[in-house]
Amino acid sequence: MELFGFDLDYVAFMILFCIGLHMLVVKSNLLKKLLGLNVMETAVFAFIITSGMVDSGDPPILVAGTNPPFANPIPQAMVLTGIVVAVSVTAVALALIVQIHAHYGTIEVSELKERP
Amino acid sequence: MSAAFDVVLLVFLIATAITVARSQDLIAAVVKFGVYSLVMCLVWQHRGAPDVAITEAAVGAGVTSVLFLLAIARTERAEKR
Amino acid sequence: MRGLGLALVLVAAFTIVLGIGGLPPRLDPEGPVHTHVGARYAERGLEETGLRNLVAAVLLVYRGFDTFLEVVVIFTALVAVLALPSGVIGGTSWREPDAETSEPDAETSESGDRRAAAVVDRPDTGVPVSNVVGFVVRLLAPFIAVFAAALLYRGHVTPGGGFQAAAIFGALFIALGLVLGRAKADRLVPRGVRPYLQAMGPLAFALVGLLGWRLTGAFLGYPSEASAYVLREAMVVAVEVGIAVGGAVILARLFQALEGR
Repeated sequence: MELFGFDLDYVAFMILFCIGLHMLVVKSNLLKKLLGLNVMETAVFAFIITSGMVDSGDPPILVAGTNPPFANPIPQAMVLTGIVVAVSVTAVALALIVQIHAHYGTIEVSELKERP
Repeated sequence: MSAAFDVVLLVFLIATAITVARSQDLIAAVVKFGVYSLVMCLVWQHRGAPDVAITEAAVGAGVTSVLFLLAIARTERAEKR
Repeated sequence: MRGLGLALVLVAAFTIVLGIGGLPPRLDPEGPVHTHVGARYAERGLEETGLRNLVAAVLLVYRGFDTFLEVVVIFTALVAVLALPSGVIGGTSWREPDAETSEPDAETSESGDRRAAAVVDRPDTGVPVSNVVGFVVRLLAPFIAVFAAALLYRGHVTPGGGFQAAAIFGALFIALGLVLGRAKADRLVPRGVRPYLQAMGPLAFALVGLLGWRLTGAFLGYPSEASAYVLREAMVVAVEVGIAVGGAVILARLFQALEGR
């Protein structure tokens, strides 16, 4: 499906990426920034997966009932590892945010800038 | 039918992402992010990537949301403008 | 700041639109995505690896190094979270700065009040779990565990595998930890074996890699003869079990660390 000559899926994921980027850049709350980063990550994963799919293709699992052409397995394997790394990054960032709150009593960047 | 389903999913994805960005209550934002992840998992299942969809359903909608909720419980719930 | 952010986003959007305009058409079976190494994997993946799930084949055999180091990344994330000063992360929050300096006896009445306030602050004792949630989680827990185990065991034949099982086992641990409370949830995994379980992903990968080195002369090599089918499958399942158990325990431990333990 196309939209003004562009692939509809790609356009949708571009919009999602930009929403996430906007959250990451503009929001002052650190947790909100991290949510924006997660939205961005998911959009990129979706882009990678979509690029590897075939028209009316089956998932890349060679059992009875699936026929070629198969979707490309490499993007899926990359994204699978990427998702798990993303949750690790989120966990580390959240632990740091909790520490920041314990030290400064706020997680708003605008207020953190005024702290000594 | 399939194309219409795709369009509905994508529009819903963008709408949930915007509501995540707009909600001032962080717990509401995290719950909406869980919805976003689940819809994304449907999209991936539809794209022939069941492996990734399973992982996203458990990690994106489950574990990430719980970790966020814990962090909110130990910091602040409201986002100041 | 707001205008600057919007401008940045617009620039990024413009750049991405230019980029996706130049991409080859999607969905075309003859497109470059499907004609290079992807096609070879689809064509010969089964005979070369013996895995019917090509995603697992790429993860564990063709791109084994990537996955090995990726498991190390998760482990490093856990180490990073645990390396943060636990006195602060598990102690009182910034709202009671005098709680640390006061005498640590909760028996006296006036400091007992302050203690109670600090305890309510913590997530686990704040609100009791609803009966409905508790019942549903207890009811579903065995089924979730069986599902995750099936994903793990059949992962090289059907959709599923180590990472998926790790995610679901981890989510199960977290749900049980929320419902059962700390004391019971702690007993799910014995304290003594936890450090080994947390390192099990990298450990299993390294051991299987060394075994492959011994057998084939290449680190993470898998014997390719048809007669070694059982051994190869055992190696794959060992790696998957390592990823699943290690990943699940690490996810549960990250949850505990954020809870303040």
